[in-house]
Amino acid sequence: MPGPDANHVAQLVQADRVHRSVYTDPAIFDLEMERIFGRAWVYVGHASQVPNAGDYHQALIGRQSVFMIRDPDGAIHVLFNRCAHKGAKLVAFPDGNAGKFLRCPFHGWSYRCDGSLHAVPIRDGYEGTRFDMQDPQFSVRRVPRQASYRGFVFASLAEDGPDLETFLGGIRTSIDNFCDRAPAGEVEVAGGVFRVWQHSNWKIFFENLNDTSHPMVTHESSVNAARARYKSLEPGAKMPFRLHIIEGNGEPYEFWDKLEMVAYDRGHSYMGAIFTPPTDPVSLAHIATLKAAYGEARTQEILEIQRHNSIIYPSCSPHTSFQQLRVIRPIAVDRTLVEIYTFKLKGAPEEVFHRAIVYANVVNSPSSNVMPDDIEVYARCQEGLETDGGEWVSLHRDAGRDRRIAGGLAANGLSELPMRNQFRAWADYMAQGA
Amino acid sequence: MDALAEASAFLFREARLLDQRSWDAWLDLFTPDGLYWAPLRHDQPDGINHASLFHEDALMREVRARRLEEKRAWSQQPVTQAARIVGNIFLLPEQDGDLMVASTFHMLEWRRRDHRMLGGQYTHRLRRTEDGLRIVLKRIDLIDCDAVHDALETFL
Repeated sequence: MPGPDANHVAQLVQADRVHRSVYTDPAIFDLEMERIFGRAWVYVGHASQVPNAGDYHQALIGRQSVFMIRDPDGAIHVLFNRCAHKGAKLVAFPDGNAGKFLRCPFHGWSYRCDGSLHAVPIRDGYEGTRFDMQDPQFSVRRVPRQASYRGFVFASLAEDGPDLETFLGGIRTSIDNFCDRAPAGEVEVAGGVFRVWQHSNWKIFFENLNDTSHPMVTHESSVNAARARYKSLEPGAKMPFRLHIIEGNGEPYEFWDKLEMVAYDRGHSYMGAIFTPPTDPVSLAHIATLKAAYGEARTQEILEIQRHNSIIYPSCSPHTSFQQLRVIRPIAVDRTLVEIYTFKLKGAPEEVFHRAIVYANVVNSPSSNVMPDDIEVYARCQEGLETDGGEWVSLHRDAGRDRRIAGGLAANGLSELPMRNQFRAWADYMAQGA
Repeated sequence: MDALAEASAFLFREARLLDQRSWDAWLDLFTPDGLYWAPLRHDQPDGINHASLFHEDALMREVRARRLEEKRAWSQQPVTQAARIVGNIFLLPEQDGDLMVASTFHMLEWRRRDHRMLGGQYTHRLRRTEDGLRIVLKRIDLIDCDAVHDALETFL
């Protein structure tokens, strides 16, 4: 097979199938790092993770180690994690506080929180050399572009391109609804982060986020276990929340097909959920705080936007009704890191946050009863795709039946529209020379 | 038998039940309100306001035990094999008549592709009941609780 150039890459994606090498070829992974992760807006973190001056949060943009840090004036800066002197990484913890200045642990060069060089020891040694305090090459390099939407900070390694809001397009509504569910209209990261390995290509994880025909098959074991446990409760008992969120994967195809798939440009999509007015005490208490903040009509509007996973391609996936955000970091062609953050809705009762923690524990923890079967089948895909048993991966289900809607496409819940939509964006990114 | 010997015998038997995947017998070691908890962070104060690697009451322990034996638990094809060593057992001050037992464990796991080493501290709160000692709380502090993890499917 020839090395991946633009023409070659274009042939790997067709309207209803993709070539297996997009998941297995390390050269294509290298090209993705350059053309997708070197160009798209990639999620860095949430502003609430760096509440105080000097607070930082580390992230990966493709292969680039970066961190966002808050300066004493309150502004957030996204910087490469590299000292301008000898190259040492400046910050070490996933989250921490740098103090007043970022100080390199090697020779003590120090920087302000916006990355600008503050001081260098033994200054007289630089007199008459080409070293210059004011020259940006002696400051910590900033990522070319950064922007934030309702506290969600994104960065792009490309100097040019669409602005963040244009990039997000219609999927902004998922971030809006994520925040609007807070009576104060704001959310904050709380309760820790799960970090889980996937032994598979990052795109397999993304495709599965809006894959409605896998739950009843992949998750049969946990569905059966939850159902069996429910049966042993006294007859007529309401199914406990923790069993319900496991058991829901066992819904039949007809259930999933009724959900709406909505796909936007640049690979974004979401999976609609059917809105049924909640009756549990946690939701009722939450709704009461929403009504007090927004009034009846607006509250109804907010709650009627009911979605399972939303996809902000190629870096994260919010779950708006249970305050979860999954961040997807490609590490190698066959290895992906997934981070799962839980959020607090400002102004909502504490029980809503406690429920989000329970949801994270049950669904998104490495010890989840649900996820191991996902991790296993993704790894089996990765291994199967490396065989010579076939060249193409099928995306045929409901192909050619998408409906045009404002800003995107819509389809029935079982449609593979979101996967085709991701590869449409993938092909666009990959076809453009760096 | 003195309390240390009694607690040690209990911990060794518990480890053996887990190594043998004797889930039902292991579940029976808990009091009805017993909690199985593995914090996600070092020095994590509780499992309500912070995510945990495990935070399981009887309901969730039973779901896990049952799932591990399901024919179509794809990630248990083949099943996880494990062997534990529990040591450095010592008694902490009793709490309301319950034994508080600290120990260190080292656990080897094997499944399909990888060997894995897990280790850390156990803290058991054990109640004296008519049926013998029963677990009110089993807390597991993994040395790498805050690491990136592969799936943790069985009980630690």
